[in-house]
Amino acid sequence: MSRRDIAFIISTLIAAAALAVVPTITTKESVINLLVLVYIYVMMASSWNIIGGIAGQVNLGHAAFFGLGSLVSRILWTKGWPLSISLILGALVPVAFALLIGAPSFKLRGVYFAIGTLAMAQILFITTRNLFPMISSLPTEALSTYSLAPRYYMALGMTLLTVLVVFWLSRSRWGLGMVAVREETSAAESLGVSALQHKLLALCLSALFAGLAGGVFAYYSAGYYLFFPFFPTWTFDAVMATYIGGTGTVIGPIIGAVFYVLVKEILALRFVELHPFIFGTLFILVVLFLPGGMIQIWSRLRRLLVRKSTLAPSAAKEEQVPETNMVHDRPAVE
Amino acid sequence: MPLLKVEGLSKSFGGLQAVSGVSFQVAEGEILGLIGPNGSGKTTVLNLITGFLQPNAGAIWFCDENVVNLPRHQICRRGIARTFQLTKPFLNITALENVLVGRMYGRQPAPSRKAAEEESLALLERVGLGDKAHSLVKDLSLMQRKKVELARALAAKPKLLLLDEIMAGLNPAEVDDAMHLIREIRSWNITLIVVEHIVKAILGLCDRVVVLNMGEKIAEGAPQEIVHDPHVIEVYLGKVYA
Repeated sequence: MSRRDIAFIISTLIAAAALAVVPTITTKESVINLLVLVYIYVMMASSWNIIGGIAGQVNLGHAAFFGLGSLVSRILWTKGWPLSISLILGALVPVAFALLIGAPSFKLRGVYFAIGTLAMAQILFITTRNLFPMISSLPTEALSTYSLAPRYYMALGMTLLTVLVVFWLSRSRWGLGMVAVREETSAAESLGVSALQHKLLALCLSALFAGLAGGVFAYYSAGYYLFFPFFPTWTFDAVMATYIGGTGTVIGPIIGAVFYVLVKEILALRFVELHPFIFGTLFILVVLFLPGGMIQIWSRLRRLLVRKSTLAPSAAKEEQVPETNMVHDRPAVE
Repeated sequence: MPLLKVEGLSKSFGGLQAVSGVSFQVAEGEILGLIGPNGSGKTTVLNLITGFLQPNAGAIWFCDENVVNLPRHQICRRGIARTFQLTKPFLNITALENVLVGRMYGRQPAPSRKAAEEESLALLERVGLGDKAHSLVKDLSLMQRKKVELARALAAKPKLLLLDEIMAGLNPAEVDDAMHLIREIRSWNITLIVVEHIVKAILGLCDRVVVLNMGEKIAEGAPQEIVHDPHVIEVYLGKVYA
């Protein structure tokens, strides 16, 4: 592990520890609720990033994994199964589903995977809306003992897990193979990388953590329509947060999700129905002018500074800008 | 026993017969030149050997195994690596990471990332790109990208390496360097098939040459014999000179 890697892990753990203290210093439920929403979005963006950003396969059906995860977890848990088993199954069912759709659709090239996943998610959305049109509410005795704190810690813990796994992946041999597949599939194969295996693993990991996010949502929510997590907006929010932050990187989706949720909350308060339009515009601007996302601002600034310092005669020492493993300036959608 | 034995290889694209009934062998340790006018089917033959295309007929025996219909990554893991005439580098990662892909997959993947990085760096230095190891490949020139591709293919530890016009666009001094490098690669127990248009390189490097024209093999032999073969001269320069 490089020094930068260790620094990332330590700062992540420090951030998590700091966030863990929040419920002890504030009693404002709105703050806790907002943070839980941020965590769910970080999980959604980070998990979308595995297949969409690192492996470069545009998945427009992420809501299906989130929805399946929440559906399975919620039904099992409200039927009296232990919470842990409900959550684990809620994460595994989307993985099975990912294998089912991934194996045939990765035989297709180009835009078909994107269209296929979008269609699949819409089919699931309509099916669950027909099968489960009712609101799932917690039983009254559970509602009376409902407490935010365990939900908060559950969401924080799962988010930490997601981020650390994505970080590990990005530094692993598998992650390198996924990036190679994204960059130039046939060249990757000519070097011994199985494109199909890498795409499938990326999709399964992506589904796993989206399913887990669904489980967190199911555990957190007091009552909701069971088909609500299947809404396509869950997909597009995850995609937009990832792109705004910086696709293909570990930190990008985290920054993007935090930014996205906060701005969305502010905009939703002020403009109510107008905020999807504003985000759509922002998304287009980012893809056009900042394809590396918000973290690209940072690397551009650094390059500028280094160039200045090497131009200045006094600063003779040459400093190379280290490039992060996954940063790429090209959008995955072409 | 030949390392590679191609038997009756044919490939057509629609009505175009790109390769028809081509057979040849490559012995271990040999450098085989594959030449022919543009469109004669050289790159198609390389694509067939590496699984980028499936032949309509014929067999490709590598180490006594028919590799036709094997997936590309399996062919690489058996020990065949290649470069591309139109380069296909991983643009948005560094040169070192490009080579790492070969070193961490390929025929004999490195046991650890640290070992892989050291070996990849050594390979980049050998092809003359040591100082560019941490540059993104999209910031490199075409020649530098070709070097990345060569280092990447070598990192996969092939038994047989296919080079597709790796010297195109080089100046005479660079051609000499490249020839020196290819001889050195051979000394690492790597057999080579070289597709090239530069006559000096073909004459100076190859033990044997296979000449293709319109998808058919029209001559095979030592380079000196080949350049005096009337049929080959006719194909390149027209009947008047033959």
